[in-house]
Amino acid sequence: MLVLSRKVGESVVIGGGIVVTITRVDGEAVRLGIEAPRNVPVHRHEIYEEIQGNNRQALTRSRQPVPRLPQRDALAPVPGKNPESVPA
Amino acid sequence: MNACETTELEAVAVERENIVHLPLGLLGFESTKRYALLASPDEAPFCWLQVLGDPGLAFLVLSPFEVLPEYQMELSEEDTEFLELASPADALVYCVVTLHANGAATMNLKGPIVLNRFTLTGKQVVLVNAADYALQHPIRTLH
Repeated sequence: MLVLSRKVGESVVIGGGIVVTITRVDGEAVRLGIEAPRNVPVHRHEIYEEIQGNNRQALTRSRQPVPRLPQRDALAPVPGKNPESVPA
Repeated sequence: MNACETTELEAVAVERENIVHLPLGLLGFESTKRYALLASPDEAPFCWLQVLGDPGLAFLVLSPFEVLPEYQMELSEEDTEFLELASPADALVYCVVTLHANGAATMNLKGPIVLNRFTLTGKQVVLVNAADYALQHPIRTLH
């Protein structure tokens, strides 16, 4: 792993297109500003790991029987939010 | 190209299908960018997000509002721009459903898949308010 020392306001450039700037240091917390192209997603590592793991667990190798939801006729629909999934 | 054309033809057999483009893939599946969103009346409100080119691979998805009508999504400015959403009504939202071995079903409310309903281009976003929601939110189902 490459380890560099930087001060507040200083940056590193990664691959020419990504700039990471130290914007604030507050005790143990370091605040980073990240400029990256649109096609480079940036995530906190732990939430990336969580969602990646959940996606892997959710992936099915074949179409399985789908569960049924209880009727929610008593609930008001959410206007405009979800017209696609209203059962015919 | 040929492989894609073949699978699109196969998918025509289902009742309703849309080709969905996720330019960044799903988290952990970054190189898988093209899916068919398959909805059939007997599976509603669930849909399948099936990998184009590999019909054996699919994610079960569900609109979060079916389970949690009060679900509130806070998208980052970057995600709103990426998806070219002019208003919240432009978005279709699906959460990845996990069917567990014990029969339980859960959905990921932290990282929903948001589609622009006009371009059918989408992204699995991480909500700004992800801390308010569970990675595996229980879905109450009938047995």
